[in-house]
Amino acid sequence: MNNENQFESQRCVSERSSRRHFLAQQGIAGATLCIAGLAAQQAAGEPPKPALEPIQYDLKPKQPHLVPQTKAMISMFMQGGPSHIDLFDRKIEVEKRNGEKYTGDLKYDNAAESSAKIWSGPWKWERYGQCGMELSELVPHLGSIADDITLIRSMNTGVNNHGQSIYALHHGRVTEGRPVLGSWITYGLGTESQQLPAFVVLTDPGGLPVLGTDCWSNGWLPSLYQGTVIRPQEPRILNLNPPPHLAGRPQRAYLDLLKELNAEHLASRAYENDLQARMSSYELAEAMQTAARDALDISKETQETHKLYGLDQDATREYGTRCLIARRLVERGVRFVQIYTSTQQWDHHGNIKDALPGACKKTDQPSAALVKDLKQRGLLDSTLVHWGGEMGRLPVVQNEKSIGRDHNTYGFSTWLAGGGIRQGTVYGQTDDFGYQAVTDIVHHYDYHATVMHLFGLEPSKLAFVRPGGIGTLLDGQPGKIVEGILKQPLAKSPA
Amino acid sequence: MLAFCLLSLLACATAPLPNANSQEATSEAPIHFETQVRPILKAHCFHCHGEQEHREGGLDLRLVHLLEKGGDSGAAIVPGNADASLLIQRVQDGQMPPGGKTIPDTQKQILRRWIQSGALTKRPEPQTPTLEDWSEEERNFWLFQPVASGPVPKVAQDNAYAMNSPIDAFVTAKLLEKQLPIAPVADRVTRIRRLSVDLLGLPPTQEEIQAFVEDSRPDAYERTVDRLLADPRYGEHWGRHWLDVAGYADSDGYSEQDTERPWAWQYRDYVLSSINADVPYDQFVIEQLAGDELVPQPWEILAPDQQRLLAATGFLRNAPDGTGHQGVEANIARNDVIAETIKILSSSFLGLTVGCAQCHDHRYDPISQRDYYRIRALIEPGLDWKNWRDKNSRLVNLWDAEQRQKASEVDKELSELEAKRLIELDRIVDEIFDQEVMKLPEDLRQAARTSRSTAADKRTEDQQKLMRDYPSLNVDRGSAILYDGARINEFNKQYETQQAEIKTKRPAEVFVASFSEVPNQIPTTFLFSRGDFQQPKVPVSPGGLSILAEHDKLIPDDPNVATSGRRLQFAKMLTQGVHPLLTRSYVNRMWMHHFGRAIASNPGDLGLLGERPTHPELLDWMANEFVQTGWSRKRISREVLLSDTYRRSSGRIAQDPDNDSQNIWLGRMNVRRLQTESLRDTMLATAGILTLRMYGPPSTVNPDEVGQTIIGKATRDGNGILVAKHEEVADSYRRSVYVQIRRSMPLGVIEPFDPAGTAPNCDRRSQSTVATQSLMLMNNSSVIRICEHFSNRVLREAGEDPMAQVQRAWQLAFGVDPSETQRTRTTQWLVEQRAVLAQPNPEQPTAPNAGALEPAKANQQALALLCQALLSSNNFLYVD
Repeated sequence: MNNENQFESQRCVSERSSRRHFLAQQGIAGATLCIAGLAAQQAAGEPPKPALEPIQYDLKPKQPHLVPQTKAMISMFMQGGPSHIDLFDRKIEVEKRNGEKYTGDLKYDNAAESSAKIWSGPWKWERYGQCGMELSELVPHLGSIADDITLIRSMNTGVNNHGQSIYALHHGRVTEGRPVLGSWITYGLGTESQQLPAFVVLTDPGGLPVLGTDCWSNGWLPSLYQGTVIRPQEPRILNLNPPPHLAGRPQRAYLDLLKELNAEHLASRAYENDLQARMSSYELAEAMQTAARDALDISKETQETHKLYGLDQDATREYGTRCLIARRLVERGVRFVQIYTSTQQWDHHGNIKDALPGACKKTDQPSAALVKDLKQRGLLDSTLVHWGGEMGRLPVVQNEKSIGRDHNTYGFSTWLAGGGIRQGTVYGQTDDFGYQAVTDIVHHYDYHATVMHLFGLEPSKLAFVRPGGIGTLLDGQPGKIVEGILKQPLAKSPA
Repeated sequence: MLAFCLLSLLACATAPLPNANSQEATSEAPIHFETQVRPILKAHCFHCHGEQEHREGGLDLRLVHLLEKGGDSGAAIVPGNADASLLIQRVQDGQMPPGGKTIPDTQKQILRRWIQSGALTKRPEPQTPTLEDWSEEERNFWLFQPVASGPVPKVAQDNAYAMNSPIDAFVTAKLLEKQLPIAPVADRVTRIRRLSVDLLGLPPTQEEIQAFVEDSRPDAYERTVDRLLADPRYGEHWGRHWLDVAGYADSDGYSEQDTERPWAWQYRDYVLSSINADVPYDQFVIEQLAGDELVPQPWEILAPDQQRLLAATGFLRNAPDGTGHQGVEANIARNDVIAETIKILSSSFLGLTVGCAQCHDHRYDPISQRDYYRIRALIEPGLDWKNWRDKNSRLVNLWDAEQRQKASEVDKELSELEAKRLIELDRIVDEIFDQEVMKLPEDLRQAARTSRSTAADKRTEDQQKLMRDYPSLNVDRGSAILYDGARINEFNKQYETQQAEIKTKRPAEVFVASFSEVPNQIPTTFLFSRGDFQQPKVPVSPGGLSILAEHDKLIPDDPNVATSGRRLQFAKMLTQGVHPLLTRSYVNRMWMHHFGRAIASNPGDLGLLGERPTHPELLDWMANEFVQTGWSRKRISREVLLSDTYRRSSGRIAQDPDNDSQNIWLGRMNVRRLQTESLRDTMLATAGILTLRMYGPPSTVNPDEVGQTIIGKATRDGNGILVAKHEEVADSYRRSVYVQIRRSMPLGVIEPFDPAGTAPNCDRRSQSTVATQSLMLMNNSSVIRICEHFSNRVLREAGEDPMAQVQRAWQLAFGVDPSETQRTRTTQWLVEQRAVLAQPNPEQPTAPNAGALEPAKANQQALALLCQALLSSNNFLYVD
């Protein structure tokens, strides 16, 4: 392993535990124009001294521990908990016993409206693709890529609340403040693009996800690894883009004047390297702006592509645009892209008959388009795509007056595609009522171990020394690689 | 492979040996064990083969005759025959040191040549190595020598330089010796800006510059120095320097929880006010280490000076502290607090990293593991990890008798109200239950009532089933709101109003987070094998470093005093005036703040791994002078500021490295960038919005909608998600030293420009020049807002005329008038931009800002751009 220093603690680790924007961070690789005063002092041949300076972390691309099967990841997080038993996990028993009383124990979130009455949704099921994957009529576009995906029907986080379960899936534990998956991946691997953020978050115009900025927190990893938000409105990336009224012409005029002022200042201080370096840093800043502008400019995409993502329809335009941007980012070397739906979009405690089709309408076509588009561009093999929320729903009615379903984190569905994932596969099962995952259970930590594996990272080795011990994503939980969803069996991965 | 072990072991990464030894390593000079070989073996081998009770393979490598005697495998060396020596064989084939670590080839060569040439020692060896038997070489290290009071070099006055202070003699002597150029004294404008930024962290106003330039009195410069030293802003800026080393923060750090420390600011205020009052440094050290020992317990009604002493001990409570945090292992966290406190204490007062000796003897410096635990024994009575006191129980209430009385009356009233509230709430819950029961078939109702009145774990099978079949029966205080939201909300509101009303009568709380010991409860400190608290070995008594021998010996605890008194003794010992580390480390650090580089350039590690001092005699002269003049920080700084050395221009003669491109020898002044806090403060001052209110609770920080930390309170947005929004209030524009420091949330406009690290403290700030800083100055919303304030000020003060605007903006930003060319050229730019912005943008006809602006608006925006260019220019960011 040639990058071990990256993960080893040295003395005086002053960079720790901060949650903020990548652009407020000094260590962007390639952007570093540090004048190393002491380094220059050391005569050639003299052994290097240990770091008395704080360690500088960077985002330069790094070699993983093992041969990777994916280079990038796009995660579409379906906040609120899509109803797996209406979309992905057909239960004959529920259909048969529609209206009867459920006899076992159920955990409810909302006791006041809860009931034990089994309810089968009105939606039809169909078999899709050569693999014959059974899916609801609400997700026909997903059906069109059934042969490309693995559908996991046995997810389990076991904590019956949105917040805790979102935490578990984002960073491994149910409490706040830990580094999220995207932070770990970029900490381990850096990014292929030095002019774009390594870890990008695309938020919904309807608002932040329920846990707000915790969803892309670097926790106690250096703040460099925090997700950078591409906002739904201008300025799309804070600090990188000027506010709208300064964009373009005004900012150029400002930079021209600044250059002139600095050149005049430098003239009488010709040998001050730092002054020159600061002037160059503005040029690099401009290059970063250009790169971001280019990545977000979807006008360069063809008519067909726009159509594929549903940009020609009101229901899909907004979400489709973000999916398309995600592809453009990955294409340019961004390591990790997280797309969010708005708060509780899928949390159908009531009115599920209208709300569930609505949520599907918004996401189904663009999500499938993303997989198709990556595939046709030859990017799917190196891009892991994830689609799923933090929970599923119960098989019983909540709120007779406006039927909905209550939370269920004990068994729910998620799909993955691309980057090392088996195609046309269904993995795991829930019980006859879709309540508990019973076969091939995939806990959040198993999911994490598997994602890490696909990136060629060993979860125990990707570690950060922090007060109180060594921090890892799995945090000592028994995460196992879910071999059944991998294209390549584990034995073939050279260790 | 990655090898992870204890944090502290990792913290002592293997380092190459210092070059002090390699200078002698020419092939001709004889190699002696003590000078060249022992440091290699100490760094790589002693831990297993010497220091520990159990020696691996029965081999002790600490003395040559022990090497010859060898261990279980026989003699380790055969003098005169390196190839036959086991030591060389094992090192050569990579078996030793184990675990994939290697000894560098140059060091292997030294070992080989030493054995080959007969394995010489410099002097006869003792029979057995004794604990902490430091070698003569170690004892002779510069840092451990008494502070010398050597002569000031005699340097004749010259046209090119002046001898204003002995400091000049020390510096100039070296420059002459090295034949380096000496820059002339800087002009007055440069000097007052340098002084002002250095002492206050803020630039001078144009009026102040003017006054100084026109002051023809011979002591004009001295007067300026004295005026600035007396300015309250001085304590804010130099207080911030001390807060760096003290590891000050307004939150716990350590875990993801990063709990706030609502009373930490009392320590910050202690530091700032002490520096403004020029509290002598010896007193400052004693107060921070042992202020609690100076206030007799029990602490009830405290006088202001007693409150101040307790606030001072906040120094010992600055370390990151995860005790009491969720999911944190208590014993590890407690011992980490102790370890981090030792780190802060030693780097602040000793200028050394003793942390490396937590697990084993220090690999390079003569600091034994026992030394480490001696220091631990100083603070362990206050941080007793087996009888840990949580943070709240350590808070000392500063209320007087009357306030206490009032508070207890209010508390009684509140608890009566709470009891009433619960009774009423339970009645509502019962009513809701009754309604739910009525929804059941009639034959089940009685059973449901019985089930509910039966405790959950006492219910029969049938009762449990009933409650399961009808989950809505499980109503309780918490879930009642789901059943009848309107009623419960109304109910809650009514009680909250009543509570709030009563609470207004309670006096505001004032606490101080103090360090203290529990009387008559003094734990024994043990040396922990490998630093592991689960492996205590021998008991250790308190003290300082054994290499300093008599200096650092402490007398045993006084049995007649209820607390240990150890820290007070230690502090008094440090401040006797002869301690070689305390004064050197202070003046070294002071020098760094005045010149940008310390005399020994690693102020937190003056030991073997740190750079040697460039001017050791000067360092000692200042250390002596410091003590002689009563430990006054202002006086010793004044001595520096009045020197010719400090007044020199920063003009660099050429880029020739022979001309001292790093300016190690101080032939000129360094060009320095504003410290990040000063940058923000200076922008605010220039814009005319800086609030100068001193002291008190900090302005709070919180993440905004994308996670960037801004000043502001967290409020819920439309979806109920907590985010901070910027507010235009006075609190938003206080000096940066009064902005809350959350360890996990550095302020967005502070972080890019290298703030102090807080894990646990910062000895020296790094200096980076990166694109993210430029992006912040270009685009950050806070920066742009400040620039708009600045442009409004210019408009107010200069009116509409473009040339007048340029003139005024320039004066405010740089303190001087623009030159004729600058004014003409910049005015031309401004006029152009006014015109351009008043036209539609043909390039980007669809852009949101493509349209033409109203002339007044165009003028304003052009001016704001001018202001932004001035505030982000190098002329603003750097000081000559």
